[in-house]
Amino acid sequence: MKGAMALLEVDGLHKRFGETTAVDGVSFQIEPGEFYGLLGPNGAGKTTSISLICGLLKPDGGDISVGGKAFWSDPKSARQLMGVVPQDLALYEELTGRENLEFWGKVAGLSPKDAKSRATELLESLTLSDRANDAVSKYSGGMKRRINLGCALMHRPKLLLLDEPTVGIDPQARVNILEFIRERVNEGVGILYTTHYLEEAESLCDRIGIIDHGKLLAEGTLADLRSQIGHDQLFVIEGAFKDVERSGWSDFNDSFRVIQETDTQLVVAASEKRDPADCLKQLLALPVQLENVTLKRPSLNDAFLALTGRDLRED
Amino acid sequence: MKAILAIATNDLRVFLRDKSSYIWLFVIPLAFAYFMGFVSAGGPGDPKNARPEIAIINNDSGFMSQLFLDTLGSEGLNPVSSDSTESAKRGLEIPEGFTEKILSKEEVSMGFFKVGSDDDQRAFLSQVVLARAVVAFNAYLLEAATDSGVDGPLTEAAIRSVMEKGNPIALDARFAGRKPIPVGYNQSLPGILVMYLMINLMIFGGAGIASERRSGALRRLSVFPLTKGELLTGKLLGLMFLASVQIVVFVLLGQFAFGVNMGSNLTGILLTLLVLSWVGGSIGLLIGFMITAEEKVVGLSLIIGLPMAALGGCWWPLEIVSSEILQRVALMLPTGIALDALHQLITFGSDFSSVLGSIGLLTLFGLAANVAAVKQFRV
Repeated sequence: MKGAMALLEVDGLHKRFGETTAVDGVSFQIEPGEFYGLLGPNGAGKTTSISLICGLLKPDGGDISVGGKAFWSDPKSARQLMGVVPQDLALYEELTGRENLEFWGKVAGLSPKDAKSRATELLESLTLSDRANDAVSKYSGGMKRRINLGCALMHRPKLLLLDEPTVGIDPQARVNILEFIRERVNEGVGILYTTHYLEEAESLCDRIGIIDHGKLLAEGTLADLRSQIGHDQLFVIEGAFKDVERSGWSDFNDSFRVIQETDTQLVVAASEKRDPADCLKQLLALPVQLENVTLKRPSLNDAFLALTGRDLRED
Repeated sequence: MKAILAIATNDLRVFLRDKSSYIWLFVIPLAFAYFMGFVSAGGPGDPKNARPEIAIINNDSGFMSQLFLDTLGSEGLNPVSSDSTESAKRGLEIPEGFTEKILSKEEVSMGFFKVGSDDDQRAFLSQVVLARAVVAFNAYLLEAATDSGVDGPLTEAAIRSVMEKGNPIALDARFAGRKPIPVGYNQSLPGILVMYLMINLMIFGGAGIASERRSGALRRLSVFPLTKGELLTGKLLGLMFLASVQIVVFVLLGQFAFGVNMGSNLTGILLTLLVLSWVGGSIGLLIGFMITAEEKVVGLSLIIGLPMAALGGCWWPLEIVSSEILQRVALMLPTGIALDALHQLITFGSDFSSVLGSIGLLTLFGLAANVAAVKQFRV
């Protein structure tokens, strides 16, 4: 939190589709120059949340403010402040990269002259100048993603909503796009970034919200989320746990919380902050044949696992 | 307004970037118009406005025969030499000494003859107009003779001066009990234009929207700073720009290549076609909001467009449809209303005010299709 007025404020957002609750009381805020990640598996409610924030869908409940003003009091002004990068490649493939950029710029209100110069600037930044006059249909997946991103930036939005902008592209192209987005953050643009890639959330985001089944389960910095589950340490116990009945391990159950379990492995966190050596001693004394016990720092995936009961990587 | 124009011009660019568009906009419609016009009459053959040919054998060497031929022309016939015509159904032989006999106030008889065995409507019309021309020519002579006095000379200049004044009373030659039938390119060109405007706009509009819904471009447009009204107006305007390109090409070719009279009522013709484009474009948007599969959009557009074209009189003149019910149905369809207005303006010589009712009806169709498209709007 940087103390400035929130660029985006979402409060108690609700959306239902028939019997299904897609977004259930989601609240968070984003400040200028902040990179906020919304992390969750497919179907968690990330895209619906973005659709509600940019006004593509109307919420059943809750409030959205952009730049301090309620979104629905003046949607056009709110949209002038925001740029949306959809998950789909929403481009005109028969047009060139430059024509696409100029078109979206003009729709956002730029004059033809300004649209042209801004397109030149963005093509340079996105390293697409040499292919600017080629039809988008001839671009690689990564190049299309870059133009898709550029189209949302033509009118220099203060808030950028990115819905999984790196889906389906190679690692190098992903790195290029993420670097480009990071530069926008340095310019003071606030970012809402949805992803199901843990590495992206871990390496990019100032704050992360973990969402599942439409609910924001936790939010904070990476350190906050890690410490919430295991006081910054997790124990990985390897052994034969298949037919072991743990209900009788009262000391263990009182002292540890199981984050993940398989027939051969338990990942546990101490229930309260303790000396790791004491924890290790207690674990080694368990009445089961152990093969190995290791100590590790909790990852974002561990946090996700602890909060949702499922592994994001399995999704 | 800037955003609306940006959407409209971008859509036009996208449509025209696809080379196959030109085939559906120009090549096929013009080929159809040419073929159907050629088959039905072989050219501009409207009984009132067109100029049926009349074969002339002129044995006179004086100025009177030339003045008579000019009178035939001004009355609506196209006098051509008897050995250089293929379409003339009737002919006229001007006797030797025609000029001298008139100047000496002798009675002159001309030889009238049929060419071929056809006794169709054009042939009868030629006879009617010929009779009208003979009456008119006699009137010119009489007036010129009156002006110059009993013994005064009857000069070419004097007769021409009378001819230029025009007739105080004109004979409007029509077939009793029914309107003349638009034939040739006068029927095929507007008919095919109306049909292809409707079908193309439904297909281009519907498929364009369906494609943008599939790609997410319409969703993206919906989150830009513009209202739903601006978005829809931009989309509709883009389709009307496309229609305008087709209309301009048809009007120019119609006037200069097909010999169809587009120029007399150009404002009315263009306004009728633009309002029809609004109707077609709005129906196209409606279809696009209802269906996302482009091939289904094309299928539905053809299912709607082809019967509308046939019933509306785009394929054959409504005047030859024997069922009065079908004739009434035609005038309840946008195609029939537009085509009726175009025939009024192109073929029957009516003025702009006479088609205001038709334009009003088309406007109602456009509004209804607009309201339906707005209600059906989805991204």
